[in-house]
Amino acid sequence: MSDTAPDVLVPGESGANVLRRSLWTRFSSKSPVILALLALVLGFLIGALVIIFSTNTVLDAWRGMFHSWGAPGHALKVTFDNVGAAYRAMFTGSVIDPPQFWHSLTTGKQWSNSLTPISETLTYATPLVIASIAVGIAFQTGIFNIGANGQAIMGGIAGAAVGSMINMPSVLHLPLTMAAGIAGGMIAGAIPGFLKAFTGAHEVIVTLMLNYVIAFFLVFVLLSTSFQLPGQSNDISRTMYSSAQLAPLFGTASGLRVSYGVLIAAAVVLFAWWFLDRSSLGFDFRVTGNNPHAARGAGINARRVVVLVFLISGGLAGLAGVVQVASTTHYVDGNFLIGSAGIGFTAITVALLGRNRPMGIVWGSLLFAALGVGGRNMQAATGIPLDLATIIQSVVVLFVATPVLVKEIFRLRSTSSNAVHLATQGWSS
Amino acid sequence: MTSLVTSLENRDDAAVPKVRPVGRTRVIGYIVAGLGLFIVAAFGLGSSSHAHSVLTFTPVNTSSNAPWSIGALTVLTRYWNMALGLIAIAIGVDMIMRRPKGAMMRFGVAAVLFLFTLLLWAGRSPGPSAVPFVNLTSILIGSSALAMVLIYGALSGIMCERAGVVNIAIEGQFIGGAFFGSVVASTTNNFILAALAGAVAGGLLGLILAFLSLRYLSDQIIVGVVLVTMLSSLSSYLNLQVLSPYPNLNTGNLASDIAIPILCKIPIVGPVFFNQSGFFYFMIVLVAGISFGLFKTRWGLRVRAVGEHPKAAESVGINVIRTRYINVVLGGAIAGVGGVAFMASQGAFQVGYTSGLGYVALAALIFGRWRPSGAVSAAVLFGISAYLALNLQTYQIPISTEILGMFPYLITIAVVAGLVGRVRPPAADGQPYKRD
Repeated sequence: MSDTAPDVLVPGESGANVLRRSLWTRFSSKSPVILALLALVLGFLIGALVIIFSTNTVLDAWRGMFHSWGAPGHALKVTFDNVGAAYRAMFTGSVIDPPQFWHSLTTGKQWSNSLTPISETLTYATPLVIASIAVGIAFQTGIFNIGANGQAIMGGIAGAAVGSMINMPSVLHLPLTMAAGIAGGMIAGAIPGFLKAFTGAHEVIVTLMLNYVIAFFLVFVLLSTSFQLPGQSNDISRTMYSSAQLAPLFGTASGLRVSYGVLIAAAVVLFAWWFLDRSSLGFDFRVTGNNPHAARGAGINARRVVVLVFLISGGLAGLAGVVQVASTTHYVDGNFLIGSAGIGFTAITVALLGRNRPMGIVWGSLLFAALGVGGRNMQAATGIPLDLATIIQSVVVLFVATPVLVKEIFRLRSTSSNAVHLATQGWSS
Repeated sequence: MTSLVTSLENRDDAAVPKVRPVGRTRVIGYIVAGLGLFIVAAFGLGSSSHAHSVLTFTPVNTSSNAPWSIGALTVLTRYWNMALGLIAIAIGVDMIMRRPKGAMMRFGVAAVLFLFTLLLWAGRSPGPSAVPFVNLTSILIGSSALAMVLIYGALSGIMCERAGVVNIAIEGQFIGGAFFGSVVASTTNNFILAALAGAVAGGLLGLILAFLSLRYLSDQIIVGVVLVTMLSSLSSYLNLQVLSPYPNLNTGNLASDIAIPILCKIPIVGPVFFNQSGFFYFMIVLVAGISFGLFKTRWGLRVRAVGEHPKAAESVGINVIRTRYINVVLGGAIAGVGGVAFMASQGAFQVGYTSGLGYVALAALIFGRWRPSGAVSAAVLFGISAYLALNLQTYQIPISTEILGMFPYLITIAVVAGLVGRVRPPAADGQPYKRD
């Protein structure tokens, strides 16, 4: 799986040498990090092209290119202004706004404003990390779980139900709510799992169709009397009791939304690392993903693996859904994780970007969360639609899935391609 | 049969142990018999003994092309439904006892019986329905628009998968075709140019899929799914940036019907088949052409050889990679035209209105065993059930809209789960091919 082994110790090697070798393998052309960064560069370039070809002022400037000697320069300037404004808004909205930050540093005031972009990115990244780990574990088993979004919705529904319908001390209520979310996701994950294991139905079609089914189910549940916010006719649920909510990490007074969910995400990352690298079940999963034949030869029960991977993946996706509810809105409505808010779909791209490794997924989530949050700021500041962020994300993933192409574009030394491949490549199981 | 089983066992993609196909007929038999029982109990005994249903056959929008009137048919709901339910039970029992071939065809018949009895039950009077009759022709016309899109999608899938490439990006090609088709149709007012634009958009997407999966051996399913994500966000982006400020780029694109003289006057058949838009007729030509081409010409033999056993094909001098490139691009173009057809049946482009039809088309393709004729029957079945799911609310039946909306997707899941193990895809479908 990994052709980089920076941490392997060679007897008698000096510490400095180990460090140099470790750095070299991390940043050589073989490294997935470099590959991801190059893919990101390409993604931003294509995003810039999309902006250029859809913004009138830029196109007008280029149309007048032959009118005067200064026109080409002017056209370039307009292009850079527009693209630059968009990407600058993305950066200041998701990472840091330098003047504002400098103001806080020098005066010691308005820290809340300065840290809001980072806090928003972390808030967005928290459920994304969990959902991406869910997708990543499935990928490592050679299973393509496109249903993470539906599973997260089910988790959100179950969590919101437990969080809003019963009231008890937070010590009990919060774990119970989270467990309900996991259970909801597991139920949604069990369907494609069992169908694949016992009928051979391809998980891609089943999970995709279930996403649509669950989207309808969401509205159906929200309109039921036991779930709907009393006195409302819209599709909106009751609000969770505060004992079931994930409180802001720095207190409500700070104005920063980043919540204790970050700790849950960290625990999930630790769990995923332990599970994939240290547990025997995780080993079975990875063997199945790398070579189904070897797995069968080694006596690994393929049906059991398929069902279990869908239960774990679905459960984690459900957890992502309930964390999303409990840390941000505290209620579920008809737009929950629908359309561009669908973290389950972003999670697929994040998992591919992070090469399904827990730490890779953390960095990938932070990056794509920044793109999403920054995209919102870009839409507000420049009027360029938020969808640009999704376009950039999908371009990045197309390139990450095709490492050889990236290497050819940047004229890198070509090494063995190690793109993600699914265990099943046709229709039959 | 044994050779088929062993060849399945030797397939190179086994993540899950094979399920013996022998038991499937029986399982489907139980499902069919269960459907029959449900029909008898719910739609037969569920309607009072004096309730009757009226079937009408003249389409609502009567124009000069209205078919010859054949009046209406009035039936006693309870007894008709019970009789039809018993037929379904008989088919199911026969399948359980005898395990005949053609299980899918029988399942299709049972599904049609189910939908028909459901209609009779929903439209019964006295009953809750505000509409005291069931207009069969209108329902078929409404379904034909959905079925047409599914057939375009399934044909696209056949072109690609027969050559060994899984095209899961059909949904994206629909979106791309619909978007550019709408812009071209609005500016030129010419649907042939719009179809060409859609074909180019879909073909380009096919080219990207082919390029990444054939040259760089990327995973076809991953690339396909990411292409769909990209197209749906790109279309939403362009919708806000281009179509919203210039609404005249996306308006008035309802393709008008072309009536075929005399034939269009035949009751039921006329309005459904001979008074349709040009896209419908083109689809029929395409179905016939691809069926003939794939199974009766040298080109088709080569394509199928490439999809079944690329090494053998290469050894007799067929250029595997080139065949796959051509087929995937053509398949993408067909799906692109399908997107334009859908747009033209709706009148304008809307973000997200394909709502997974591209994936349903894939299920139709599997259901139809990678054959144009089978895919057409499956697409018709899916089209009717999807249309009814969206429109049964007119009859005020006691099921909520949301539950009805799930139906097409649930049927797709049932089909894929019930049949995938039974049907045999082209042997090299989805397998990357590397020339030695």
